[in-house]
Amino acid sequence: MRSSLVWEVLILAALALAPGVGEAIYFRDKISWRSAIAPSEMATLDQTRTWGGNVVWVDARPDDEFAHDHVPGALSLNEDRWNELLPQFLAVWSPGKKIVVYCSSLSCNASREVARRLRNEAQLPDVFVLEGGWEAWLKKNR
Amino acid sequence: MNQTTNAQRSTPKAFASRRLNAEVSASGATSTINHQPSHIIWRIVDFIVAGVFSYAGALKALDPVQFATSIDNYKILPWPVCVALAFYLPWLEILCALGLVFRFFYRGALSILTALIVIFTLATTAAKVRGLDITCGCFGHASQHWSFPAHLATNLAVFAALVVLWVSNRSSKP
Repeated sequence: MRSSLVWEVLILAALALAPGVGEAIYFRDKISWRSAIAPSEMATLDQTRTWGGNVVWVDARPDDEFAHDHVPGALSLNEDRWNELLPQFLAVWSPGKKIVVYCSSLSCNASREVARRLRNEAQLPDVFVLEGGWEAWLKKNR
Repeated sequence: MNQTTNAQRSTPKAFASRRLNAEVSASGATSTINHQPSHIIWRIVDFIVAGVFSYAGALKALDPVQFATSIDNYKILPWPVCVALAFYLPWLEILCALGLVFRFFYRGALSILTALIVIFTLATTAAKVRGLDITCGCFGHASQHWSFPAHLATNLAVFAALVVLWVSNRSSKP
């Protein structure tokens, strides 16, 4: 009786795989398996170079890390001092400029959250997250 | 004469036997009548639980990106696992809900749904204890503005219904 229960569980678990795999194939362009950010909301360093001077860099790391070092010309905008730093950022930003947010590395969440808030709360267009973050920038530029 | 005596003797016996049979069948009928309403109630509970899980599963299956983000917000699992679960769990819920409705692999479906609701409840509670201000994601975007007590109450109600189904399933076995 117990073994039949185990079999029932295993069969149901296996049957659910088929539609799950089908859906994963259907949504393959809308979700990234590497990062929580959608591919359309991500920007690589090479991409940002093609945008030239039309980019506003946003550093989403904590203040001390920003003070230690950052992308030249980047503005600090982290969640700890969001209300204080957002007006300063908006004073510099102008329509048509692309916003590239970065945090420490590929695995950090701060850039994703700041980018989300810039899109949803500040209603800004063209907000991207830098793939690989500050680590990737350091590798290519230093 | 002898025959008449025998007939007279057998008549009360036969009568008693018939009466006993009548009582047995009557008690059987009474028993059946008593079981039928409860059987209908269990089926209603089956349908309610199945409805809750298929609704939750459908909402999440329609927006796996949102569901993956909801799982990721718990900060328990790495992102690729969140994505895999976002594609898999909604269909598991829907399939088990169908199992409850059509009574195929019934106990297997009950086991999986019970395990799922226990895991969801523990994860939501653990997130609250860790101070994470997140939505449970149990019902996709529909549960975005639910408070923690609302999440907990819903999960516990579904868990209670599943326990009732386990008990009814055991008691209905011969």
